[in-house]
Amino acid sequence: MQPEAKMTFLDRFSALRETQFGAFVPVLLALAAIWGYFGLVLPLIDLMSGEADSFRAIFLSPRNIYNLFMQSAVIATLAVGITIVLLLGDIDLSAAATAGVCAALLGVLVLSGVPGWLACIIVIFVGIIMGAAQGLLVAYVGIPSFVVTLAGLLGYQGLMQKILPTGNLNVGDPFVRGIARVLIPDLWGIVLGLAVVGLFAYANLRKQSLRKALGLEQDSAFALWGQVVAFSVIVVAVVLTLNAYRSLPLLLVLLIAITALLGWITTSTPYGRSLFAVGGNAESARRVGMKVKRIRVSAFAIVGLMAAIGGIFGASRYGSVSYTAFAGGSLLLEAIGAAVIGGTSLFGGRGSVWNAILGALVIGSLGNGLDLTGASAADKLMVSGAILLLAVAIDALSRPGNGSGR
Amino acid sequence: MTSEDKMVGQAAPPAHLAVRGIQKWFGGVHALRGVDFEVARGEVMALVGDNGAGKSTLMKVLAGAHLADDGTFLLDGKPVEVTSPNDATELGIQIVYQDLALCENLDVAANLSLGAESVKPGWGFLPRLLRPLDDLEMEVKAKKAIDRLEVRTLQSVRAKVGGLSGGQRQAIAIARAVGAESSVVMLDEPTAALGVAQTRQVLEVVKRLRETNHAVVYISHNMRDIFEVSDRITVLRHGTNVATYTTSETNPDEIVVAMTRGLDTENGNAA
Repeated sequence: MQPEAKMTFLDRFSALRETQFGAFVPVLLALAAIWGYFGLVLPLIDLMSGEADSFRAIFLSPRNIYNLFMQSAVIATLAVGITIVLLLGDIDLSAAATAGVCAALLGVLVLSGVPGWLACIIVIFVGIIMGAAQGLLVAYVGIPSFVVTLAGLLGYQGLMQKILPTGNLNVGDPFVRGIARVLIPDLWGIVLGLAVVGLFAYANLRKQSLRKALGLEQDSAFALWGQVVAFSVIVVAVVLTLNAYRSLPLLLVLLIAITALLGWITTSTPYGRSLFAVGGNAESARRVGMKVKRIRVSAFAIVGLMAAIGGIFGASRYGSVSYTAFAGGSLLLEAIGAAVIGGTSLFGGRGSVWNAILGALVIGSLGNGLDLTGASAADKLMVSGAILLLAVAIDALSRPGNGSGR
Repeated sequence: MTSEDKMVGQAAPPAHLAVRGIQKWFGGVHALRGVDFEVARGEVMALVGDNGAGKSTLMKVLAGAHLADDGTFLLDGKPVEVTSPNDATELGIQIVYQDLALCENLDVAANLSLGAESVKPGWGFLPRLLRPLDDLEMEVKAKKAIDRLEVRTLQSVRAKVGGLSGGQRQAIAIARAVGAESSVVMLDEPTAALGVAQTRQVLEVVKRLRETNHAVVYISHNMRDIFEVSDRITVLRHGTNVATYTTSETNPDEIVVAMTRGLDTENGNAA
């Protein structure tokens, strides 16, 4: 607020974080750093040391980028859901186990002859109920969400083993497999990308002109056009890169569409506003007449929904359902890590579903890059831990009001 | 209460909100023992008393947060029922609690319209909770509310509340109460945690409320603030009225004595 003679780097960074799109900057920087390291620095080092004859940018090849996006999609789906409860200041440890139960159920259903689309709808409802049940315990019984969902994690892991006694089941249903296999034709992918860019630019320019008409303060032209240009470049680059290998996969389009819907709901509807209000000050939300308990339950239901969708995506991508790929593996921690690396606060009231997607890309890129360099599983775990800590540290240092001025 | 008539006399303006004979029990504790209280439009009525005198209880009864066990409410002379916070809100009675109840993670405009967000017209097929917010409309409203209270230090209604000073936050909490079409605004210790400059800012806002013809109830322990902004002072002690004074005709010593010892020891002096 007050103009100060000199701003430290951190102050500037905090000010940046306050702007509408500034919240994306840290996670985008992290992503750029990781891609730069694996994509440019490592191949250069190889080239210098004579290990490779020519510059081979395997990491940044369209083929690897395509795989990277697909690998990160399941993590991203769960992270988007988890972000919703993080906004309330709650946590959901059971998301991956819920996804596992839903995927297992999906596999068993299609095996027994239920049509793929019907099976998907059924497991989505099951996921919503599993999430809402935990939400009821948190909101109305008053058990901390950590405990409820820890119990859910254990219980749902057991449930998944009950559904899949062998621990593994192939899913061959064409509808389910199609989600990950169907590709949008190159031309349509480009048209879709341009349409999204056009819509984004139109919405921003219209808002600006309305602001002018109403005599409200306006964003600077630089910020406005900067946003539009940056957004366009990213969208077009992603579409072209994917087209260069195969095409835009339906799975990614679905993920982006669902995230866009949730992003719109959380930032632009009274319901979304109430999520932020409850996360910021639950007592205040209650006093202005918000139904805090119902909001809690609905948020957990949304996690259940996203977990079920994540389960479907996973089953579709792997062509099988296995215990270790969902409930028993590292999916849960990766998803929570993705949400937090994206900049969503564990204390509630701050964050965005889009950041969860970027956070998932960070986690996915790390795994993918380390795999390419032949790192061991142990190295991967340690590096992931370090990146998570670094992300949270950057978040804590750049948090508005940190240190002074409170 | 005869003492009240004696203190106020003909000078008292016609009451906007008045309560008579309010009784409130909490289990075996008799918190309010037949309290009378009134406040007029365009007046700042200070409510003072030692800890446990019943100030907060009385205020919560007025705001509908507590249900009075006995007593009558009069709004512009007509009897009304206040049995819930919603009743009070509908009658235009608003309370600014000491903790302000602001969401620090939201901006000023969002806080001012919290719970009553504007939505864009034309989306009637969606449930209200999922209709698109009209951010610009809320910003316009917020700017009006802030301008009405003349909070000059606030630069932008898009600033997050978490980055504002204590005085600015208090002003925003007051603006929220005023924005809800209220005629009675009750302030609980609005300057308790503030420095000198911040206190000044809040007192200016309270004066603006009086100028805009609101009935203001001002609870405080700070005699200097009370004597600066209030028109009349109601003193409570042990859940009963001691007296109501006209501020210009009394002094802090008299009020302190009334708060701590009541009128008995100072008999006849108070007039």
